[in-house]
Amino acid sequence: MTARTGTPGWAMRNLVYGVSGWVTLLTYLFMLLPIAVLIGFAFNAGKSTVVWTGFSLRWFQKVVGNGNILDALQVSLFVALASAALSTAIGAVAAVAITRRSFPGRDLLAAALAAPLVLPEIVLGVALLVFMSFAGVTLGYATMIVGHVLVSIPFATLIVRAAASSLDPRLENAAADLGADEWQTFRMVTLPQLMPAILTAFILSATLSFDNLVMSTFTSGVGTTTLPLRIYSMLKLGITPEINALGALMVLANVTILLLVMGRYLPLMLKTNRQ
Amino acid sequence: MQRARREQLQTGLMLAPSVLLLGLFVLVPLCVVFAYSFALRDPYGAVLPGFTLDNYKELIQGVYLQIFLNSFSLAAMTTGLCLLIGYPVAYYIAFKAGRAAPALLLLLLIPFWINFLIRISAWVVLLGRGGLINQGLLASGLTQLPIGMLGTVGATLVGMVYAFLPVTVFPIYAALTPLDRRLLEAGADLGAGPGETFWRITLPLSLPGVLAAALFVFVPSMGVFAIPVLLGGGKEIILGNLIVQLFLEFRNIPAGSAVSILLLVFSGFGILLYMRALRRVEAMK
Amino acid sequence: MTNRLILGLAATALSLVAALPAFAEDLRIYGWAGEMPDEVLADFQKETGIHVTFDTFDSNESLIAKLDAGGSGYDLVNPSQYAVQILINRGKLVELDHAKIDTYGKIAPTFQNVSYDTGNKFSIPYVWGTTGLAYNKTCVDAPITSWKSLFDEKYKGRVYMLDNMLAAYIAGLQVNGFRANSTNPAEIEKATETLIAQKPLLAGYNSTNFADLVSSGEACIVESWSSSVLQAIADNPDVVYVLPEEGGTMWIDGYAILKDAPNPEAAYKFLSYILRPEVAAKTTELTKTATVVSESKALLPKEIAENPAVFPAEATLAKADFILDLGDAMKLYQDGWTKVKAAK
Repeated sequence: MTARTGTPGWAMRNLVYGVSGWVTLLTYLFMLLPIAVLIGFAFNAGKSTVVWTGFSLRWFQKVVGNGNILDALQVSLFVALASAALSTAIGAVAAVAITRRSFPGRDLLAAALAAPLVLPEIVLGVALLVFMSFAGVTLGYATMIVGHVLVSIPFATLIVRAAASSLDPRLENAAADLGADEWQTFRMVTLPQLMPAILTAFILSATLSFDNLVMSTFTSGVGTTTLPLRIYSMLKLGITPEINALGALMVLANVTILLLVMGRYLPLMLKTNRQ
Repeated sequence: MQRARREQLQTGLMLAPSVLLLGLFVLVPLCVVFAYSFALRDPYGAVLPGFTLDNYKELIQGVYLQIFLNSFSLAAMTTGLCLLIGYPVAYYIAFKAGRAAPALLLLLLIPFWINFLIRISAWVVLLGRGGLINQGLLASGLTQLPIGMLGTVGATLVGMVYAFLPVTVFPIYAALTPLDRRLLEAGADLGAGPGETFWRITLPLSLPGVLAAALFVFVPSMGVFAIPVLLGGGKEIILGNLIVQLFLEFRNIPAGSAVSILLLVFSGFGILLYMRALRRVEAMK
Repeated sequence: MTNRLILGLAATALSLVAALPAFAEDLRIYGWAGEMPDEVLADFQKETGIHVTFDTFDSNESLIAKLDAGGSGYDLVNPSQYAVQILINRGKLVELDHAKIDTYGKIAPTFQNVSYDTGNKFSIPYVWGTTGLAYNKTCVDAPITSWKSLFDEKYKGRVYMLDNMLAAYIAGLQVNGFRANSTNPAEIEKATETLIAQKPLLAGYNSTNFADLVSSGEACIVESWSSSVLQAIADNPDVVYVLPEEGGTMWIDGYAILKDAPNPEAAYKFLSYILRPEVAAKTTELTKTATVVSESKALLPKEIAENPAVFPAEATLAKADFILDLGDAMKLYQDGWTKVKAAK
């Protein structure tokens, strides 16, 4: 910071920073306070989510012993992993092609891949349901995974595209000069450089799928009740600290995943994000 | 020659999955919806073949206009609020937070690690008459009686901003970070006041991010349906609710398709406006 | 490292699929959330070895929409009376063979011949209840007895209506002295006006967490299905459910076998099982919802058997309307409801 202390400019800048600082502080309170309250009341002894009556872990026991939630969790995890794998694979390949190859309709494909981002999800879900019934497809895992891939593929593509376009082509040329064939170059040079972006895309896609309600509503079939769908029917029976406990466990699981799986890649990811 | 052909084949193979996916599961379904929007139906909800413009004509009635108006005003208010709050936050993270920036960005995402419905239900509890906000207001003596906040437009807006704020901050942050701080300071050194620097350099240069944020908030917020129901009491329905109602409650697939197509056209307009504005902004540089 | 990670993720995904248990026989049911206790399903599974997948829906309308899409893959579905009519008309249900349900005789005589499905040809009634009012004693001065309270300026901002067209019209029609299953355009028009006039008084329309809202005191009075609010009553003595003096309505949720059911035989076994008096009693005890098996009442604890919210008196029930499929009048309701929803 080189602004000269004492000048009117310095004062003004402090004001600008000050305002943005205050807004930021309040925003983070707004974003995080509800979550803190939510987690706090997961430990409530009573059945209320408003009045504190004592400390207890019984709601956590209840969640962990709830077969319906565990079944739904299994479905959600499977759909999240499968759809994230598919959308990352398809998106990454397309992203590499878009940045590295020239072909007719490149801009169109790039725009089309981003389209689901601005198509209202409900229209996409309805269209898919109408189409599946038109084509006589039984609703189930396959339809739901396809639906979730559509929701996440714009993000997967955009993330990998950003990384691919910032790669230095000289590295690949050097590898080729050293006698590596195309596949070797891709596997040993290009892919490792793209890996942080691909992982980011995977995690984000899985998160989006895990949280999805709208698309799931339209594409679920026999036995494919995901966690959000199950939570929706739990809400009907009343908001109890059991829901809070479930939320607290979700935060815990996410932090753990972030620390375990991402420990190695997080610094790299953040670096690419900051570029 | 052979190499070129091989490369072509490779490119084709790389593109096949995404083209297939988009064609089969986005383009074709949207075409079916488009065709259905001109179809007839029987009283039990089956779609009958035929061609009619009635599904669209019905939408010009006053009732539907009111719902379109509701959707637009809710989306506009959400976008405005998100930009108003999101810009300073992105500005702070980009220029002031320093090494805390990555952590701040991650923190912003924490609510999204919890299921959407649980997040909304946390607000249902907070905004309730017995909730913490009312407890605080009563304890501080600001009010004598609890205030009914659930079932108001304000509650809907709180839920909408909560849902869309991160989507706003990220594109603006991404547009602000590459701005060279030295450039901004040079402006200041040349005698431009900080206000002037902000209005003449920072803001114009970050406009593409602001526009992207506006697009990412405005379009999806017209299709939202759970927030207006759970926080706003379901009194002001928007296009998302209308589509759910037509498809699920009334089983009127042709009318639901027509509204979907209309929402699609609105989104298309939004994207066009975005691209025009973006071009103008870039021409300004 | 990268390869290992990808392998690990793939292995997790595979093991998740493999972990989905394989059973000799499967039965897939699509039913109302909260009307079939998990214990009953588990007991059935233990006794027969048939694995039950029980998915839930939250409105007849979403059930029909899912079935309309075709190829749902379910064996048994759980529609309410008017939805049974619609599904029969859409050709979705199979004609039942009552001989395959050995406990069919346990169904109370009044439920053996229901008006919406003569001779129970396509559906077996199972649980029943009413649509009326629930209120919180702490915020009303006198017991609520009439739909009129939902339209009373006194409770402005403390009233929720069910977010369901046919349910909302029950109050809108009956408060004007009409029947809840009216097909008269003038009456529906009047009810629409009443509902539009009521809108500024409402805190909202809600068919999700309304029981919670009335129990916490957020709402004073809510239009309510009896089954949804009974748990809240058990937890909070201040919550009261009443069938309004204008009549309210009665509903029946039954079971029907789909034409494309993969395993209809298992569906028959399930129907025979749930109609046993002791199983029906368990269902009532755990969900606080009455079943059609009259013998089960004797097996219930007194506080449930004598609870007027679970088993209303014959006399009050006699006044209740029964909503059937409204045929062409449905369009009038839909146009009216859209107006109500769009109104300020």
